[in-house]
Amino acid sequence: MNKSIFGGYHPLVNFLYFGYAILVPVFFVQPVYLALSFASALAYSVYLNHGKSARFGYGLAILLMAVSAIMNPVFNHRGVTILTYLPDGNPLTLESVLYGVCMALMIGGVILWFMSYNAIMTSDKFIYLFGRIIPAMSLIISMALRFIPHYRAQIRRIASARRGIGFDASSGGFFSRVRCGGEILSVMVTWALENGIETSDSMQARGYGLPGRTAYSNYRFDSRDKTLLCVFAVLMAASLTAIISGAASVQYFPMLIAGTVYPYAQISYACHAAACLLPLALEVREDILWRTLLGKVTTNESV
Amino acid sequence: MNLFEIRNLTFTYPERNLPALNDVSLSVAAGEFVVLCGKSGCGKSTLLRHLKTVLTPFGERSGEVLYDGRTLGSVPQREQASRIGYVLQSADNQIVTDKVWHELAFGLESLGEKTPVIRRRVAEMASFFGIQEWYEKSVTELSGGQKQILALASVLAMQPDVLILDEPTSQLDPIAAEDFIETLKKINDEIGTTIILSEHRLEGALPRADRAVVMADGQIVCAGGVSEVGLKLKELNDPMLTAMPTPMRVYLALEDQDKGGHVPQTVRDGRVYLEGKMSGGADSQRFVRPCGAHPPLRGVAGMTTEEPLIEMKDVWFRYERDGRDIVKDLALSVYPGELVCVCGGNGTGKTTMLGVITGENKYYRGRVRVFGLDPKKSDGRTLSDAGLAVLPQDPQTLFTRPTVFDNLIDVAYACAKRRPDSIRGAAPEAAHPATAKNANHITPEEVEAEVRRVCELTDTADLMGFHPYDVSGGEQQRTGLAMALLTKPKLLLLDEPTKGMDSFFKEKFAAILHRLRADGLGVLMVSHDVEFCARYADRCALFFGGDIVSEGAPREFFSGNSFYTTAANRMARGLFPGAVTADEIIESIMQG
Repeated sequence: MNKSIFGGYHPLVNFLYFGYAILVPVFFVQPVYLALSFASALAYSVYLNHGKSARFGYGLAILLMAVSAIMNPVFNHRGVTILTYLPDGNPLTLESVLYGVCMALMIGGVILWFMSYNAIMTSDKFIYLFGRIIPAMSLIISMALRFIPHYRAQIRRIASARRGIGFDASSGGFFSRVRCGGEILSVMVTWALENGIETSDSMQARGYGLPGRTAYSNYRFDSRDKTLLCVFAVLMAASLTAIISGAASVQYFPMLIAGTVYPYAQISYACHAAACLLPLALEVREDILWRTLLGKVTTNESV
Repeated sequence: MNLFEIRNLTFTYPERNLPALNDVSLSVAAGEFVVLCGKSGCGKSTLLRHLKTVLTPFGERSGEVLYDGRTLGSVPQREQASRIGYVLQSADNQIVTDKVWHELAFGLESLGEKTPVIRRRVAEMASFFGIQEWYEKSVTELSGGQKQILALASVLAMQPDVLILDEPTSQLDPIAAEDFIETLKKINDEIGTTIILSEHRLEGALPRADRAVVMADGQIVCAGGVSEVGLKLKELNDPMLTAMPTPMRVYLALEDQDKGGHVPQTVRDGRVYLEGKMSGGADSQRFVRPCGAHPPLRGVAGMTTEEPLIEMKDVWFRYERDGRDIVKDLALSVYPGELVCVCGGNGTGKTTMLGVITGENKYYRGRVRVFGLDPKKSDGRTLSDAGLAVLPQDPQTLFTRPTVFDNLIDVAYACAKRRPDSIRGAAPEAAHPATAKNANHITPEEVEAEVRRVCELTDTADLMGFHPYDVSGGEQQRTGLAMALLTKPKLLLLDEPTKGMDSFFKEKFAAILHRLRADGLGVLMVSHDVEFCARYADRCALFFGGDIVSEGAPREFFSGNSFYTTAANRMARGLFPGAVTADEIIESIMQG
């Protein structure tokens, strides 16, 4: 996997970024903001995700975007600018097409943002952040992440063991399959309860339940995080102030009116774009840095 | 200064008549490495659990346990949590969190340590155990041995004075087990942590121990230096003698106990001793008296005339299209009545090979026939009906009902329903005239008679009323075996059956297999346990890199290997070339 630079920052910074990037287009469906968000989301997700696993995400995004972009003008006939008439006699309006495209950008953008989110916000980071708020939660989530694969493997083992003495849940009639499947679950429940005793012994033996438990994490909030957090805070504050003052006010029907209410709209767009693209910029800067370093190393070697 | 002092401890579990611990007195000095041994069920775990308050079982108790001069109960929980470290049997069950680093920090979090302190301790532990490589990994990615090391490291991060370990290697393969014991020795030597270890695999543990304690029926039989305990066991003629490491057994069998002195414990010491002993003898014409535990059931010549139960030729298997081949060009046959053992290191694909036979892993090249059926094209039911049964590594995966009896009846019924003729053929005495008319109807009496017959064979009759989880590991294994046998197999596949068995039960297990094989049951066993294979197999094979690289009768097989062989063979190499078990060395010297 690609080692992400932004992923190396403190989880709080990561979370703040994704929180902003995902929520703004969801709540403020203004065409310029949507377009900027979508373009940034696309660029960052392409940078972070490669290979097979990404294909599913892009496929889903394209599908949902197409559905939204086509369905809206087909069923929504509001708007004053009539382009043509549909076969059923209803008008096809420019406004409804635009609205469909904007919705598509919003949906696609959210999916793409989540693809990047998954690549950056590992379960560790999520647990850490929420462990800060509710300390018991972080342990519970961590234990759940431990035991789900553990139990899944055990179910596989049980199914194979039962198959070995002729109780095959994957063959035979419907009722015998259901019966074999039920037996696998019953073995699983007994096994989990019984072996859970040893788990609880192990926890108690290591002092679980003593008052004053702390939550440890590998993350440190250093000056690099502080700087980036400040930059984000300034950009996002500027962008959000503008949004609240009306930069994102928009009206699609009966005719499109956007961005005209607020005088410094261009500045707020720039702040929004900068906030959304900053992580990608950091990644690219790092890549260039390494390439030049590597160039120096190789030239030194060849000399 | 005694770290632990146990005084006249007697303990009875609720609703039991016999005490689990009977007047046990023992003291452990700071810095000692103590090994606690004895048959399974002798009270080792119960005793160890009395050394930490949160783990102490409920029941009736008298006597006292002192820790550091105070009664254990008066030592605060926080102090106990940190100073008395406890490692349990199953690595999988004692790991609580999803990431290695979090697991290392778990105990320190409980103690309420601040982040910088935890960071330092965790880093120390990771460096000491060499786990930097997998520090960030998920625990599911670790091997069994790594998991147990992690469990140990996470306890050690709390900086305990004493480590108590309850059969920590019973779920590990021999190489991982040896590494684990070696790590304990390192901790003992380099940090000075006191170690109290209960073990049934004594070959590795005893030579490293300062003191051994032997228990039986809730009492301490003898305790002291390892040599001393060996000599004492001989004097008492205690059955634990057979569980001692090979060099000790040979020495104790050949020497008088009053000779005393140092009893050899390692293969090296054993060799030195044997060489000294043999140089005195004039006769250089040493031959080894074959001393297999059971007479071989049939000669090699007999095999070729019979139809094989399994026939594998040029078999290839891999899990993924682009993955590497796990089974490569494998050829293996098993004939009726044979016990074939496939040995080999971890991750060589032995268990995968069993999956190919059961049809769970579909081979992509070659030919496999099980009773003439192609497992790739047959489902589990058809293969079971044809006579294939598998005993899994963990018999707990088989139990569906709350009593042993119900579990057995369940299997017997299912088989009787599917194959009414099979049950009749084996138990003709049960087929009384009324039902004989209706060949397809099996009466409950017939099923019960069949269950009783198998119970007698597997020695499970006494367990009938118990919940299968309440009986010991060896008994669970026997119950699993009984369930497998009730399907009327002609071929039994065993996956590491001796893991976690003590030496007494291994003998019993081999005897049961021998009885079954006399009736023509073929057994294919995958095992790490070279000592067991050498003693009881008809044929052994070494699995490496997906294929069987050498194969033969145990004697030729093991005496041809120089590393992958029994301790007895390594000890007697060059002196008694053919000897592969301790009994063979002893017999050869006594006779020769």
